[in-house]
Amino acid sequence: VTKNPAAQMKDLLDTNIKDVIQRFPGVADVLNEYRIACVSCGVGTCLFKDVVAIHDLSSDDEKALMSGIARKIFPGSEVTVPTVARKHKPAVETRYSPPMEKLVDEHRLIKRWLALIPAVCAGLDLSSHADRQLAERGIDFIRSYADRFHHAKEEAILFKYFDQNLDIIRVMYADHEKGRALVRFMLDALGAGNREALVTGLKAYRELLTEHIKKEDEALYRWMDRNLSTSEIGKLFAEFASKDAEFGEAPKSYEGFVSQVEAKYIIEEEQK
Amino acid sequence: MIEFSGCPGSGMRDFRETATAAKATVDKVESRLRQWPIQMHLISPMAPYYRGADVLLTADCVAYALGGFHPDFLAGKAIGIACPKLDEGQEAYVDKIKSWLDDAEINTLTVMIMQVPCCHGLLALAQQAAQSAQRKVPIKAIVVGLQGEILSEEWV
Repeated sequence: VTKNPAAQMKDLLDTNIKDVIQRFPGVADVLNEYRIACVSCGVGTCLFKDVVAIHDLSSDDEKALMSGIARKIFPGSEVTVPTVARKHKPAVETRYSPPMEKLVDEHRLIKRWLALIPAVCAGLDLSSHADRQLAERGIDFIRSYADRFHHAKEEAILFKYFDQNLDIIRVMYADHEKGRALVRFMLDALGAGNREALVTGLKAYRELLTEHIKKEDEALYRWMDRNLSTSEIGKLFAEFASKDAEFGEAPKSYEGFVSQVEAKYIIEEEQK
Repeated sequence: MIEFSGCPGSGMRDFRETATAAKATVDKVESRLRQWPIQMHLISPMAPYYRGADVLLTADCVAYALGGFHPDFLAGKAIGIACPKLDEGQEAYVDKIKSWLDDAEINTLTVMIMQVPCCHGLLALAQQAAQSAQRKVPIKAIVVGLQGEILSEEWV
């Protein structure tokens, strides 16, 4: 016996979002309208109901999103759309908590490096000592700043405050592992003097991290802030400060590196 | 609501209709107060209940406006209360808040104020203390409406 559309919609809430998009490709357009990036997500195992809760849509937006999706799945039918059960009321956009703000600040520096990658790749000449050094330092920035300094805080501290089996957490771990694999690939390419492979690796890393940072800034960190108590925020803040102290002045030196490369490419642009 | 002019903090408002329309509470609400004293002139920042604690610095009127003050906001926290409009000697408050941060090494500071403009002075005191303290902690500001609604809740 086929269930009615409302019951089918309810069942779909417990389906993983990539499967929903695969069965009903029109759903992707509706999600994109609300800047929900499930379509481009490399993992996509979050349940449909969790996607709505994580993005913390206002009640009106949730209704409009679910109605739009129902029209794609059941064209021509009027469907009563289910409301997603949430622990918290949809929040007005607020500032990040201080520990999340710290991670967002670190994202800003990483994004500055990502923005430089096309220019770095365009002129890269591995027979030049200066260019090889630039490539080495760029990969070191990724490995030491983006991964050891930033991602390590997330994995060793932040993510431990949540159920490790949550799909959204597993998606983040998976992205971090893909990044590490790309670093190994790039180091091998640099060691072998293989410019083409190195450029492929850098561009792939840029694409991966751009999407990853967008997911964290726009959805994950805000969801985490809504699900952490004031006391937990305080503990996180202290743990992050303690972790940062282990790195001493090294993070500042990476900021200096990115600024130098930015200046180099501004000067080169002005000289053209 | 009667129109008034002058200081919004002391302007008369009449909520009898909405207040008496609220459902009567069936269960007794237990006190979540874990210390004495609570008034900022009387507290010692080095008292043991402040050490490493999540602290609530609240304007005097907040607990009267907010029906669920004890279970929803006070539970699990140490407290200090003050009136930024009427209290004298508020320089001492800045020193005590600074001592919370640096000496008692509190975990967080939540400042609760009423929506009236005169109450914002309490948040300003907390921020002044935080700026001069060596040790930084997350500080949250919660603004409470005259009828107990939470108007905003922000990390500052």
